[in-house]
Amino acid sequence: MKSLDAGAAVASPAEADGRDQLNALVLDRRAGDGMPPLIAPFKMAEWEPGKHATLVANDDASGGRPFVASVQVEMGRTARDRTLDLELGKADLAEIPVEQARQAADRGVRVSLSQPDELLALVFPAGRAATEDARVREAPAAAIDRASIVNFILQKNGEAAGGLLPQWSSGTAFLFPTAADPDRAKELWTQIASAPKLTLRYDSGDPLEQSVAERIVVNAREAGISVTAQALQAGAPAAGVDGLLMRLRMPSPAPRAALVNFLSVLGPVANIDASPLPDPATPQDIYDRERAAISSGRVAPLVWLPQAYGLSARVRNWKAPGPGETWPLADVWLDIPPSPESEKEKQ
Amino acid sequence: MTFRAKLFWVFTFALLLSVGMIAAGVTVVTRRAFEDLNQQHSDALVQQFQREFERRGQEIVHRVQGIADAEPTVRMAIDLNRPKSDVSIYVNDARGVSKAHQLDILDFAGNDGSIISSAEWPARFGYKLGWVTQPEDWPARGAFLMKAETPEGPTLALVSVATVRVGDNNVFVAGGQRLGREFLASLVLPQGMRALLYLNLDPNFQPTNLLDANGSANDAERFAPIVQREQQQPGEQTASINWTSDPATAENFHALPLEGRQKELLGVLLVGNSQREVAVLENRIIWLALAVVGLGLLIGSLLSWWGAARVTRPVRELAEGAHKVAAGNWNAHVNVHGGGEIGQLGRAFNQMTQQLIEQRERLVQSERVAAWREVARRLAHELKNPLFPLQTTVENLQRAKEQSTDQFEEVFRESTGILLSEIENMKAITTRFSDFAKMPQPELGPVNLNEVVRSAIKLFEAQFGAVGRPPITPELHLEENLPTIQADPALLHRALENLILNAMDAMPAGGVLMLRTAHANGDVQLEISDTGTGLTPEECDRLFTPYYTTKQHGTGLGLAIVQSVVSDHGGRITVESETGVGTSFHIDLPNHPPRREPSIPITFEKEKAKEGA
Repeated sequence: MKSLDAGAAVASPAEADGRDQLNALVLDRRAGDGMPPLIAPFKMAEWEPGKHATLVANDDASGGRPFVASVQVEMGRTARDRTLDLELGKADLAEIPVEQARQAADRGVRVSLSQPDELLALVFPAGRAATEDARVREAPAAAIDRASIVNFILQKNGEAAGGLLPQWSSGTAFLFPTAADPDRAKELWTQIASAPKLTLRYDSGDPLEQSVAERIVVNAREAGISVTAQALQAGAPAAGVDGLLMRLRMPSPAPRAALVNFLSVLGPVANIDASPLPDPATPQDIYDRERAAISSGRVAPLVWLPQAYGLSARVRNWKAPGPGETWPLADVWLDIPPSPESEKEKQ
Repeated sequence: MTFRAKLFWVFTFALLLSVGMIAAGVTVVTRRAFEDLNQQHSDALVQQFQREFERRGQEIVHRVQGIADAEPTVRMAIDLNRPKSDVSIYVNDARGVSKAHQLDILDFAGNDGSIISSAEWPARFGYKLGWVTQPEDWPARGAFLMKAETPEGPTLALVSVATVRVGDNNVFVAGGQRLGREFLASLVLPQGMRALLYLNLDPNFQPTNLLDANGSANDAERFAPIVQREQQQPGEQTASINWTSDPATAENFHALPLEGRQKELLGVLLVGNSQREVAVLENRIIWLALAVVGLGLLIGSLLSWWGAARVTRPVRELAEGAHKVAAGNWNAHVNVHGGGEIGQLGRAFNQMTQQLIEQRERLVQSERVAAWREVARRLAHELKNPLFPLQTTVENLQRAKEQSTDQFEEVFRESTGILLSEIENMKAITTRFSDFAKMPQPELGPVNLNEVVRSAIKLFEAQFGAVGRPPITPELHLEENLPTIQADPALLHRALENLILNAMDAMPAGGVLMLRTAHANGDVQLEISDTGTGLTPEECDRLFTPYYTTKQHGTGLGLAIVQSVVSDHGGRITVESETGVGTSFHIDLPNHPPRREPSIPITFEKEKAKEGA
């Protein structure tokens, strides 16, 4: 294994996730009271924060020694460079943007997609006078054509989102409509006496968010709603912003845990009820809380995004990790063709 | 004002007028030349813009057609022609293609006009680009202006449309370039000119829509009237903007409407010409004219004074000569300068005075001869009268001696008595002549002419009313405030006596003798009029000639003496007479008699009696 984009920098959720993945690969874990710790499959041989890391197979790993002897992780490379590395055979595995997965596949890259476990949502922060009127939030949300976002921007690698949990997790996502209703959007907007001009923020380093934001602007404008997209750096204060795009990654496939995590993030921003759910929670509890959050109009789920990985032709036994799962590098092996010398030896 | 001053002002005025007219003419001609030049520059820039517009249009047509003809586009068209084709895979194609072909605007649209991919606004996929499906021969249409939608708002673009037809379906390729700052920057502008572009994207004038080569134009609000006129009535127009009170900052703008496919006004090209050069040149002309005027005035002053002096000096000398001649100095002579008209005039003047002197000398000579002849005649006449009795008496005496001795004593006694009497007559005659010859020079002193008149009249009062003689009534009209004059009272008294005697002789049947005094301009006048027999014009002509008389026993010296006295006082005497009515003598005496020029003889001044009276 040569390349894996994960690093120590924590500027973005993706990078933080990468760091967590590396930690999971090299750090021993406690198994429980009275139980011996679980030995990590790899050891950190080299570490250059944000740039490079080398993992070597740990012979003492609890799950047995990994198939690969070492993993070289290159960090900080752009999505384009990562894809090129794959196509040029310089890397065996790389994260690729989901919206580029189809094009990569068309160019011959093996693409592995996870379950859609990341929600891209439009959030209306609390405290903004312009969006205090629920119709001001509902109108642009109704104008959004999620299907076009999925089909064109995500190139059909995703799902339209109406609720805060995916269908495969909660089973109730179908109860939340995803179809655009521009007529209702126009009607709502015309009801507003002094319609404001809305500002929508997106992460300036995220091309997907930019595309979705621009599409929302187009949808809104077609409905007569004035929305302006504004690029801001991730983590920048949202002052003066009427809406912002947020990515919410499911920490767990369990609906309750995912919903609690989402509400804990959305609550402070959009003033959504983030009180603890019963544990265990019934599907009804989860649905009601999800419905309450959606009905507040403070959050408009847009699409569910899978995680996309590009694989070289020799990678075997890779399975895209689900929510809360680590990269299965310890189980991966490489299909290396025999060298001419070894062929001669066989003969 | 002297002739020299007049000449100076005429010269100065002519100089100012000519320089002013030249300056004004040059300014007008220059302004027109600059206006023509500016117009040519504007036309050239408009033509350049149109050529650039056309060139870019052709380039865009070529590029768009190239995109439409390219293999990927054809494959796209083929793919879209398939049932259940997936257009989503082309959603990002326009961006890459537009960059490769350097187009700002590029849209791929399906058969129904739905946007498959958009370079300028990628998020607009799926929406209709309705205008491309309208019936239009796009290849023949070429490039045209249109209002293109972008995320930043509408913009003005020069676009072209090409179609890719596969089966019954079309794929429309609409591509172009923005018309804005970059386009203006590509124009090559002459010095002092600039081009601005107003993007007519809003119903009302928007200052931010006015662009120049550097971006948004400064002071865009000042262009609002021009743009609004174009919005109301599109067409080529010109207007001027004065940026400050300084005319040099003014700019003339040529507005050219930019219309779209449907003849809608999409933009206004403004070509500005700075008036700085014109203003600077006009300023220079004005200053140059002022400098020329100033220098001209200085030189003109010198030249005019010099020229005037050159011209007026001989004229002044001529005037002085004429004054001398008028004053009686016929010896006046002027210096002749050059051979021009003034020189000729001077020579003529000198010739005239020379001829006058010669004529005067000839006249004096002839007068002298005539006077001597008259004297001789009068002497002969006067002497003949006593000579004849003398001769007769002497012959009687001789005859008495020879014939009668007895009577001789008596004859002798009578004859000697006669002889003595006639000899006395002859002595009297010679005395009168002697007195006239001995007329003294006046001894001047303050004299009141009224006193002299009264004194003279008083001397003749007894004779006016003498018995046996028809009465003569004297009338005195003497001005009370008559000023005193410098004169000899004895000579004036003598002259007045002669005039009164003359008047009395002219009124044998009596009449009125009127004497009037007056004064004017410091001179005094005396008029003596009678109601006598009057004189004929011929008599008047010779009246003051010595020894000329119209009377049987007159010597002809009375009026000659009067004329001599008046002349010696610097005055003059004239006579008016009408036969049967009377005669008037007018005497003018100056306050101060001038020094008598010895060369001037007695002057004869007279006025003819009224003709036919």
